[in-house]
Amino acid sequence: MTDTIKFAVKNLDFYYGDFKALDRIGIEVSEKQATALIGPSGCGKSTFLRCLNRMNDLIPGTRVDGEILLDGGNIHDPGVDVVHLRRKVGMVFQKPNPFPKTIFENVAYGLRVNGVKNKATLRQSVEKSLMDAALFDEVKDRLHQSALGLSGGQQQRLCIARALAVKPDVLLMDEPASALDPIATQKIEDLIHQLKTYYTIIIVTHNMQQAARVSDVTAFFYMGRLIETGDTETLFTRPKLKQTEDYITGRFG
Amino acid sequence: MERHNFHRELEQLKLTIYKMAALARQSFDNACKAYLHRDDDIAQAIIDGDREINRIELEIDRQSLRLLALEQPMARDLRMIVGIMRISNDLERIADQSVNIAERTLFLCQHPPLENVPAMEALIDISKKMFAMAVTSFRDLDAVAAKQIPALDDQADEYTMQVLKGLIEVMAASSPGFEKRVLKMRRSIQTIIISRCLERIADMSTNIAEHVVFIAEGVNLKHIQKL
Repeated sequence: MTDTIKFAVKNLDFYYGDFKALDRIGIEVSEKQATALIGPSGCGKSTFLRCLNRMNDLIPGTRVDGEILLDGGNIHDPGVDVVHLRRKVGMVFQKPNPFPKTIFENVAYGLRVNGVKNKATLRQSVEKSLMDAALFDEVKDRLHQSALGLSGGQQQRLCIARALAVKPDVLLMDEPASALDPIATQKIEDLIHQLKTYYTIIIVTHNMQQAARVSDVTAFFYMGRLIETGDTETLFTRPKLKQTEDYITGRFG
Repeated sequence: MERHNFHRELEQLKLTIYKMAALARQSFDNACKAYLHRDDDIAQAIIDGDREINRIELEIDRQSLRLLALEQPMARDLRMIVGIMRISNDLERIADQSVNIAERTLFLCQHPPLENVPAMEALIDISKKMFAMAVTSFRDLDAVAAKQIPALDDQADEYTMQVLKGLIEVMAASSPGFEKRVLKMRRSIQTIIISRCLERIADMSTNIAEHVVFIAEGVNLKHIQKL
């Protein structure tokens, strides 16, 4: 466990038009740990996640106040290249979204966009990413077949491999297992345990048991505010605040 | 996402352990009464009543495991269920110690009373007080009250030593005839065993107090010398 801060968020407000979706969020996310964001629907956890690689920039009428520092640099500084930011801070979505291409080309896509042309380099990177995503053994004999033929769980790990191929520092995961069956979910959870050795992982989940199982730190959001952050074991056994306790024990929400 | 059904079941589990605590208290109070009044009817009733306490312990195990496996409780609910499992174990052992006292009492009732050892009554009083406080602090989830209990345990240990010392003196005092001396030793040893049961009940009341603090505050006091 390390104390190096990957993200430092200070006084973050976020608006969809007039609606204030995030209110003065302040949090530090440590490097090479899994941080889980929990809270009821509409609490702002996914909005917050998407702020971290400026995915919300794509939504018209949105506005951000406050600071998000990644490795000490503000991601909203005018000089920041958003494409570079998103390469560094990758994202995996709720529903697996492979491209209608081969398994190989899905993973190679980001590398090709970044100008990698050497075939040996591409092959090495694709294989390593598939191995890191715990998928290689299952697909090694059909790398040049369509990714759409994979199961939902395999497609999700392919999307993780695709995100890993461009060597990000951070992996944002927005409910990565909610569309998967229990076995595929277990594989994703095991994978998160392995990946956090090398990557900083921030995961939004509705499944509190999943948050408890995979994360080192948990942050509880409610109505656009960050209510409580703490190491996961403490937060799920003796949270400091009644509001957190009431939510995780199912007394409201 | 309110979990009404789970919380109803958790309330049911609490009612079950309150019932077990009430029966264990009754069993222990009656054991003390049987010993003090040399009442073999009460002593026999304690032995007969233990089966119900054992049955409730199994029921609590079943209900607790079910909730842990099916409901994945969190925070204070998790601590409550784990605490209930620990407390039911202590209650069952307290009830067993009460049966042990009742069995020794049945023997003592068949023979003339021994010389009075004043510390014995003090030991009964303090162990009854500690157990009553433990049960009340659990029912009220009162960590402040629970934290008062371990301090009394030193006093209980002290009375136990005084009882032992007093009964050694009783045994050492000469009695006419070999048979009478043997009988006096047998009665004294049975009484020492009773004092040991009382001392154990004081210890287990301290355990219950620690579980109450764990449930209420999430702090583990086990094996901490002073509260």
